Amino acid sequence: MPRPLHPLLAACALLLWVAGVRAEFVLIGHADNPLPALSREQAEQLYLGRRDALPDGRTAMLVDLPPGNLRDRFYLLLTGKNPAQIRAWWSRQVFSGRALPPREAGSVSEARQWVAANPAAIGYLPADAATDGLKILLRLP
Amino acid sequence: MSATRVLAVLAGALALAFAALPAGAQDEGGATGLHLSGFATLGATAVDRSDLWFYRSGFNKPGKRRVDFGNDTLAGVQGSLRLGKAGDLTVQAMTHESPLGSYDPRITWAFWRFAPTPTLSARIGRLRAPFFMLSDSLYVNYAHPWVRPPQEVYSLNPFSDLDGFDLLWQVPLGRLDLEIKPYYGTGRIDLLDEGKARMRRIRGLNLALVGEHFSLHAGHGEGRLQLRWNDPAYHQLVGALNLAGGAAAALPARLSGKQGHAGFSSAGFQWDDGRNMLIGEFVYRRADRYVNSAHAWYLTAGRRFGAFTPYLTLARQRQERPVARADGLPAPLAAAVEAFAASRNDAQRSLAVGTRWDFARDTAFKVEWSRARVDRGAWGSYFPNSATPGTTPDGRTVHLLSLSLDVVF
Repeated sequence: MPRPLHPLLAACALLLWVAGVRAEFVLIGHADNPLPALSREQAEQLYLGRRDALPDGRTAMLVDLPPGNLRDRFYLLLTGKNPAQIRAWWSRQVFSGRALPPREAGSVSEARQWVAANPAAIGYLPADAATDGLKILLRLP
Repeated sequence: MSATRVLAVLAGALALAFAALPAGAQDEGGATGLHLSGFATLGATAVDRSDLWFYRSGFNKPGKRRVDFGNDTLAGVQGSLRLGKAGDLTVQAMTHESPLGSYDPRITWAFWRFAPTPTLSARIGRLRAPFFMLSDSLYVNYAHPWVRPPQEVYSLNPFSDLDGFDLLWQVPLGRLDLEIKPYYGTGRIDLLDEGKARMRRIRGLNLALVGEHFSLHAGHGEGRLQLRWNDPAYHQLVGALNLAGGAAAALPARLSGKQGHAGFSSAGFQWDDGRNMLIGEFVYRRADRYVNSAHAWYLTAGRRFGAFTPYLTLARQRQERPVARADGLPAPLAAAVEAFAASRNDAQRSLAVGTRWDFARDTAFKVEWSRARVDRGAWGSYFPNSATPGTTPDGRTVHLLSLSLDVVF
């Protein structure tokens, strides 16, 4: 007779699945970040380099995931731009001395560590990544 | 020109940048840190006339071979040091074929930026002279759809450095941003045969309205102009004018010196909804001596099809007032003055078709074909090959094929 799935495990799996369907990415901040949330527009302005300050006036420390599918998907969801468009856009910002790009973490876990360590940091993680001790500021899409 | 030379210089600059990197500058959790990046283009051009070269006045030197790598090939490296609350420092060095024919790298950005409020920032140091809509990213070809920004417009003001300061004030207007950017400073450039030009007390104001898919730009700048030509044609003409005396002897003071005043205005728009793009710009140069007064415009339409972005550009530059008039001079001297004025007149019209191909991450390949009709009494973007004397670009039609590979890293 097959052993029934533990109800708690099943509930967790269901929760993860629902979360996965409802959001692909979460924008995260430090646990002490005083911001209640970021709007999609505010997040887009930050990740396109059009603003480098948070709504409360502090300079944000933006964190990027390493180049790859996750990062491309995040930018597509947030800004509607494909990888080549995003790279062209950011080239214009950086080489025109207009803005500095987000800091590039080496992995999802490093991005999480940087945000956990810096009160002004803003990052993004796949929605199924652990976010304990971090503040969720926005869910995408 | 040699592409290996560019790469060698680039490697040297990068090595220097790394050597200068303080240990532990990459402070992961903190607000400080160093960011290094770069851009490069390997570009080749060829014209269908064996007695003419394509060249970019005030930027590089006419070629020596039928296929010229010197017009578009360039490389730049940039380092930015974040200083936390104290702002950031940015230095950029770039190498390309200069009007003197060398590939010596030069510093194209070197500034300290400070933001006293979230919507106001100030920069001081070596900046880019922001005369055009796309001045700031002028040489970062990867950021643009074209092989190079349309020359009818972008040749009209070759000053690219501004040693001074600027302010950027961003005013949110609903979903739009109004950007107000005053600037002040000095700029200098080399010209062919060790000529030099300098603009002092450059002051100007740029306004931009930036939306999600579009932006509008308007700007005006002016300053004092100093110019010294040093090419044989100039010296011959000045010698003949001085010898003739009378009205002719007054002309050299209009051709070069330190008493000029020049103003430059530009207005443009960009639309890019992710699929279609439309870019247009109009510029106007007015100078009281040394260079001609002229206006120019271009209009580019492009559309993305997957990794390909084909585009079409129409462009025109027209002279409004020549640098010197030959009225009342004896015939041979008048012809010499007119020939000199033609060689300093870039007026032409062109139609260009091309495509950008984003075939790999951070890399784009571009091909462009253009047909230019140089105005009568002008040389346009072309230069006569000295091996075949007596032929100039004046009034001719020239086809130009350009291939380029752009990377950012």
